[in-house]
Amino acid sequence: MARRHSEKQEDTEINITPMLDIVFIMLIFFIVTTSFVKETGIDPTRPKVERATEKPRGNILIGVTESGDIWFNKQEIELTLVRQRVEEATAESPESSAVIIADDGAPTGVVIDIMDQVRLGGVIDISVAAELEGS
Amino acid sequence: MKRRIHSNEEEAEINITPMLDVVFILLIFFIVTTSFVKELGVDLSRPSNEPPKDVEVSEVIAIKIDRTGTITIKNRETDIRAVRANIESALAIKPDASVVVAADREADAGILVRVVDQARVAGAQRVSLAALAR
Repeated sequence: MARRHSEKQEDTEINITPMLDIVFIMLIFFIVTTSFVKETGIDPTRPKVERATEKPRGNILIGVTESGDIWFNKQEIELTLVRQRVEEATAESPESSAVIIADDGAPTGVVIDIMDQVRLGGVIDISVAAELEGS
Repeated sequence: MKRRIHSNEEEAEINITPMLDVVFILLIFFIVTTSFVKELGVDLSRPSNEPPKDVEVSEVIAIKIDRTGTITIKNRETDIRAVRANIESALAIKPDASVVVAADREADAGILVRVVDQARVAGAQRVSLAALAR
């Protein structure tokens, strides 16, 4: 009786090995592609340009509002804190580059000050977010 | 004999159910946290606090943006749509010239980004920024 029962159980079992393969491949794919991007918390109007390139390693996002307020990781921060935050971010992922998401009407002086601070924080690859014309 | 092999096989199997649970939770976590949104950006480089490189005056195309957002190229007020043509004609005369954009601190960042973009489109190899003094 016991033997018959065990045989029956084995017959109804589904082979999960192919599914496991797929799940593992997906898991590895998502682990590799994940880069924990910290959102700025604001969505400024980006200036429209003709030529903009994608920033695949743009992990450090710094937002600047029209009035010149600086946002990082959903918090408003002072200019003097930018360098420290950038240093913390590069410690987490050393290859990251910085993208300043400045509003169309943000003052240039603030953007340039941020660029200086980011460079002092050890990130050389700095760009300013833009939108392609017509999109 | 047949039966003995069979029961042996079943005993040697490892229970992978807990591992599967963990793997699925990890998978879901990474799917949820992954964001494929990539920012589009215009590269800006600015030599900050470094002594300026020795470039001859004739090799620089200077563009000035003043407080109100007026763009001036070679002492002539220019519309944003004419910046590209102006730089192209200047580059035709001096192909090795680098473009320097000097913007007032109060000027809109959008205008600066657009001017740098237009300079790149016009074919300038080196575009750098210079902030006017406070």
